Amino acid sequence: MSRNAVMLGGGQCKWGVREAHLVDLFQEAAKACLDDIPGLKPSDIDGLIVATSYAGRCSFQVNTAPVIAERLGLKPTSICTRCDTLCAGGSTGIILAKGLVESGNADMVMVTGGEKLYTPQKWEVFYSELASVDHDWDGVHGMGLPPPFFALTAQEHFMHYGSKKEDLAAVSVANYNYASDNPMAQMQKKLTLEEAMAAPTVVPPLTLYDCCPITDGAAACIITTDEIAKRFSNRPFVYLRGTAQVCLNSVSANFPGAHLADWKHTRIAAEKAYARAKVSPGDVKVAQTHDCFTISEVIEVEELGFCKKGAGGEFCGSKQIEVGGKVPVNTDGGLLAVGHPFGATGIRQGIEIMKQLQGRARHQVKDADIGLTHNLSGANAEHTIVIYGREPVK
Amino acid sequence: MSVTGIPILDNLYPATMDMWPIEAKEFNRSWPFYENLKQGRFTTTKCKDCGNVSYPPRVICPQCYSENLEFTDLPKKGKVVVFSEEVKGVPLGFESPLIHAVVDLGVDPVKRLLTRIINCPAGTLKRGDEVQLAVFDIPAMPIEKGRAGTIMAERVFFAFEPVKK
Repeated sequence: MSRNAVMLGGGQCKWGVREAHLVDLFQEAAKACLDDIPGLKPSDIDGLIVATSYAGRCSFQVNTAPVIAERLGLKPTSICTRCDTLCAGGSTGIILAKGLVESGNADMVMVTGGEKLYTPQKWEVFYSELASVDHDWDGVHGMGLPPPFFALTAQEHFMHYGSKKEDLAAVSVANYNYASDNPMAQMQKKLTLEEAMAAPTVVPPLTLYDCCPITDGAAACIITTDEIAKRFSNRPFVYLRGTAQVCLNSVSANFPGAHLADWKHTRIAAEKAYARAKVSPGDVKVAQTHDCFTISEVIEVEELGFCKKGAGGEFCGSKQIEVGGKVPVNTDGGLLAVGHPFGATGIRQGIEIMKQLQGRARHQVKDADIGLTHNLSGANAEHTIVIYGREPVK
Repeated sequence: MSVTGIPILDNLYPATMDMWPIEAKEFNRSWPFYENLKQGRFTTTKCKDCGNVSYPPRVICPQCYSENLEFTDLPKKGKVVVFSEEVKGVPLGFESPLIHAVVDLGVDPVKRLLTRIINCPAGTLKRGDEVQLAVFDIPAMPIEKGRAGTIMAERVFFAFEPVKK
């Protein structure tokens, strides 16, 4: 009989500027995860995947997985490893866990991710971000801190497709409003279009609310099979139907599109993930896309096939990303408002999709049966997609 | 209040906190790129077997995996396709204005090179402007050479700058 991977449950700690150590954040997230699955004990978990990128730089800690396993009281026997794909680390862990449980090499894997980015002197995190892109060829030009790269991306989208600043502001407004009642979010305030348009400049055309904050935080989820999940939960199963991770370049000079607003690698990732999940873009009822910047969400809704290429600005500006719209996006507040502790983000996105598909999300999308998560990482170097559904792929 | 450094690191050089590349040939097989920069040349590697030119320079050809590579010159002048300008809140290591541009150098693999533009006052750059390679000194890096003691490896790096009209 085939084994089908499901997300059994999950949780996150409070995200923001946290008075805590990296290992504290992982413990808080693991507790939130187990609180979501009454009856599950640490001893039921046989595998651990830890997604973190800045542990080495900001917490002076490499080989993170054994450290976290010990703090969480886990004794893994199938897998105990760290993965580092920066902003996609959490989603990468979920993809790996799917393969492990479906192949029978693991039964119950905790996928957790987290970062402690604020150091006692603030310069250090910004300085260390030079490592988040190809250091010697992009980082040294000051491309590690991402606003300039995405400012160029926004300018090229404006030039080629006629989108405008108001479209970007509409994304901030939607995502901040989704997060305004999310107690785990870094930003918990409603935002008006006027406030978003009047915000201070970061790098033109990007202003304050176009950029996700720097965030401390962690999240954790459990990936197992539907057969095993039956013993722990009466909730509807949330299957991991199809995944893809596409990398065509790392150095920005080798960007694969015709220009920075043409995301060929996202399109390939979407095609592969939809084919593996046996769904089409029109089947997706809710999505969590990588809104590190508002312009990213505008381009992602295009490349994921929710609207025509070039129409992302209009799609977001006409409220199609809000509940009641064509595809509600980032319904828990996204990176813009919940925050972005790199390795944790994909897990946070997966948990929100799980809740949507189980009918228990804060901003519930009616009859959600297919959901999608998407991450980009590096200097727009890699794209990662996971498609979730109420039914397994047949 | 000024902050003193970490006492045990007094007189030591933490290269992992140096923002520039470790360019010296003792640590980097692409060292000729930096030596060529010192001569004002902007270069990358070309495969002598299949002809593929790739940027940045490598030690194997990404197309045929040959190790038979040579350095070849890239154009040093190009046109600004699009640029961004950061005036406030420029990160440590950079001066205001911090300008980034996509520069078209006219040939693959540098038809869309993302680079920094220097020697350019805020508010003066325009799309289509001609820019050229600008090489500048960066701090030398101390390298331990056993009994020979510590040598200072001289370094340069590059950006682009407007061509004066």
